[in-house]
Amino acid sequence: MEDRNRLIYHVLRGGVIVCVAILLFGFILAVLTAEPIPDQTIPPRALGGELFRFTTAGYLSLGVLVLIFTPVGRVFLSLISFIGERDRTYVVMTAIVFTNLIVSLFLLA
Amino acid sequence: MSLIETLLLLAVAAFLAGLGGSYLGIGGGVFLIPFMTLALQINIKVAIGTGLIGVIATSSGAASVYVRDHLTNLRLAMFLEVATTLGAIAGALIGLRVPEFYLYIAFGVVVLCAAGTMARAHETAKDRAYVSGEESPLSKRLGLSSVYFDREDQGVYRYRVERPVAGFGVSAAAGLFSGLLGVGGGFIKVPAMNILMRVPMKAAVATSNFMIGVTAAASAFIYYSQGLVDPALAAMVIIGVFSGTSLGTRLLEKAKASSVRFAFAVCLAALGIAMIARLAFPGVTI
Repeated sequence: MEDRNRLIYHVLRGGVIVCVAILLFGFILAVLTAEPIPDQTIPPRALGGELFRFTTAGYLSLGVLVLIFTPVGRVFLSLISFIGERDRTYVVMTAIVFTNLIVSLFLLA
Repeated sequence: MSLIETLLLLAVAAFLAGLGGSYLGIGGGVFLIPFMTLALQINIKVAIGTGLIGVIATSSGAASVYVRDHLTNLRLAMFLEVATTLGAIAGALIGLRVPEFYLYIAFGVVVLCAAGTMARAHETAKDRAYVSGEESPLSKRLGLSSVYFDREDQGVYRYRVERPVAGFGVSAAAGLFSGLLGVGGGFIKVPAMNILMRVPMKAAVATSNFMIGVTAAASAFIYYSQGLVDPALAAMVIIGVFSGTSLGTRLLEKAKASSVRFAFAVCLAALGIAMIARLAFPGVTI
């Protein structure tokens, strides 16, 4: 139980910290390249190119996406944890929640 | 207002939202979104998209600490998340058809009732103590009842989760509102757990914080893919909120549960009044 709590702590906190680091990097890029601050995020499909070219928009967008996915990662971690505990009821419940998340990601996107 | 001024003001507001959000078990969207639209003149849809990002940041920042410190009820969270995620999908699908007017009325009424109930009740150690008698069979089967450590009096409290079915229903409604209005839903989830299901206040706050990130994530991604998230604004919100949660979590763990409850009731009442006032003055965006 203690290990599981610690792991969730690190995933959630780590996710936000990684996100903030990426965001700060994006702002540093803005200062270094004297680009204007973007007001639109980059769609996921176009993200690779933007990151490769070190644009502010690309890295800020990446940071935001990392944040959005931390709760998804946390649910997935809980799923693995309940599978490990062989708690069938909670495996089913977590699987439902995870599926709902994935479904809603693709529903209107 | 220059861009730098906007960004800095937003970061400060986000800090307060993260502070209040982690202390009360809410996402902070209900503070941030009006601030963005009224004070910073940001477009309402962009404000909602950015606000949802703030909710996730509050959730991840605060919940991480509460889980580590054994305040969060992980099983209860997962059980209720089945309801909120289903509600959020339904909300997103229905949301396009129901006139906002009815949503605000329903939201305002529910919120005011919850505020009244919370302000009247006092949570003492006696309330939190393990109540003898039969546990609800569903609670028992799902292992919902749990234990938490309260730093206020260095006590370890066991508590029972009651009326799980009612709690599930209310959580579905919370998810529904989340999908419809773009809020985290914490304002409904905390009273549902604390009043309805008799979960001690701090455990309810911690569990709510844990849940709202999930509810907000799906909506946030939809807003992102519609190009409604401003990356610079979102960045300021994330950084501000995360700093706020570092302070807010520390305050909650040391606070008296009754203080938290009272603060929550006051904010709820303010929100309920604001919701209803919005109907009277449709020009003002909340």
